[in-house]
Amino acid sequence: MKQNWYKILAVILMIYIIIAGMLIPIGPGIVGVSHGNSSSIVAGESITLKVNGYNAHYTSGENKAFLAVKVKDDDSRYTIAANNIQVIDDQQMEVTFTIPSTSPFNETKEAGLFIDNELDGFAILPSAVFINPIGKIQDGAKWQRDQALNLHARPGLRFPFRNILIETIRNTHYHVSIWMAMFILLTTAAVYSLLAALKEDPIYDFRASSITSIAFIFGLMGLATGSLWAKYTWGAFWTNDIKLNMTALSMMIYAAYFILRSSIPDEEKRAKVSGIYNVFAFVAMIPLLFVIPRLQDSLHPGNGGNPAFGGEDLDNTLRMVFYPAIIAWTLLGFWIANLYYRFKKLNYKYLFESV
Amino acid sequence: MLGQIFQLIKKDFTIDFRQGFALTSVFLFAVTTVFMCYKIFGDLQGQAWNAVFWIIFLFAALNAILRSFVQESGGRELYYFSLLNPIAVLLSKIIYNTLFLFVLGTLTFLVMALFTGNSVREIPLFFMTLSLGSMGLSIAFTFVTAIGSKSNNNATLIAILAFPISLGIMLLLIKLSADALGLINDTSLQTDVIMLLAINAVLLGLSIILFPLLWKN
Repeated sequence: MKQNWYKILAVILMIYIIIAGMLIPIGPGIVGVSHGNSSSIVAGESITLKVNGYNAHYTSGENKAFLAVKVKDDDSRYTIAANNIQVIDDQQMEVTFTIPSTSPFNETKEAGLFIDNELDGFAILPSAVFINPIGKIQDGAKWQRDQALNLHARPGLRFPFRNILIETIRNTHYHVSIWMAMFILLTTAAVYSLLAALKEDPIYDFRASSITSIAFIFGLMGLATGSLWAKYTWGAFWTNDIKLNMTALSMMIYAAYFILRSSIPDEEKRAKVSGIYNVFAFVAMIPLLFVIPRLQDSLHPGNGGNPAFGGEDLDNTLRMVFYPAIIAWTLLGFWIANLYYRFKKLNYKYLFESV
Repeated sequence: MLGQIFQLIKKDFTIDFRQGFALTSVFLFAVTTVFMCYKIFGDLQGQAWNAVFWIIFLFAALNAILRSFVQESGGRELYYFSLLNPIAVLLSKIIYNTLFLFVLGTLTFLVMALFTGNSVREIPLFFMTLSLGSMGLSIAFTFVTAIGSKSNNNATLIAILAFPISLGIMLLLIKLSADALGLINDTSLQTDVIMLLAINAVLLGLSIILFPLLWKN
């Protein structure tokens, strides 16, 4: 029982992430707006936007709608409230804005749409429309600056709504966590490999190679889940994204590890040589996965130098499932690797007894 | 140790010149491949020039370095082991291979310039890329050859081990050389060069740490 705590923990966490990850609903949001002719409006005219919501309750509770324009790079916003809101059903409504003829800016600006509902809290659609002030710059008295919008708080337990992701955001618990677990497994395997190389002991080599096998399978699973995710968000199973290509490369490096192992029949020699290669492969993988992708543009979140876990993409509800998911996948990986290791060790011992 | 490295480089150099076929076969490989590509493409410019040059360089480099540990027979290895510092053996191979690859790359460049005309606009940048590439490929391939020579079917295995490891370096080299050819305008030139140097340094450090383990057999 004492040795089995991690297996029990893995199963409990796994059940938790499947149930919580699948059942917690996505928070309310705006999928998009349809505007009559063009998304650009001229100051002084009015526009009617048909808002398509997601998981929203427009028929119950009071609705408010705003257009907000950021004039400078600082956080000061100019807002204008809708003069007519017509709710069609829970997920649809029509809002009409009349843009004042004088504007506080003199070039075409994008305006974000804010929808506030008593039940759902507020939702934002960035760059919903473009406002062309036709050069009339004035104080823009009808636009309200930095006004307290009195938005309602969002309801409690919801995964964040992200426009293209929508329901696929749940894949964070699989795709991202499996990658994390893979790194942990590979690091452990590199340590065991170093021990195998130093002591020339096949036992360490069995540990290292079984953990690496499971990490490799996790890598394939990470690619498969990522591929599916890419199909539903970016539109293709494989894109020319730097992270994907570097990952494919790392997988090839580790595939070569298994080929190397199979070509050396003697266990002790194999322990040493493949141990050395594993350490070499692990270190060669680090720039491929952690350095080069950060220096180039990528479709993945956190491109161009930022780590992937910005405050906007991972909120507390997601963390509540995401962190246990990393632990669960890691423990599950070690569990399978342990079984494989024991199989290899038994095989090795049987080989000696039968001689 | 410096004396040992120097003596070993001198020894490799002498052997390669005495058995002329080793050197000439690699150079002949490069020249015939360039000629064949020239006949296939007719006119090699820009992107195609870049691709052909680096592919020829990669395969010629692999052919050249394959010899470095495989050619040492069992008896000679034992003799080295009793006599020499393993790090000196490794460093001498790496330095010799770096020089060899640089000469090979320069020769390939000259032959390609002869057949197709010079497409390289920034010669200094191109030769800096070539020298960094020679260094990187030499470090990676030499170490992988050392690993592969411990297994049974080494020539195929070394190719399988070497290509994935060298691909990261190759991608950076191709980018830098595309910049030298004027195909792209690389805004992060300095970062790329530093990154290439960093990868080379990491691989070199790792080889120096791990090679003594591999050596005592």
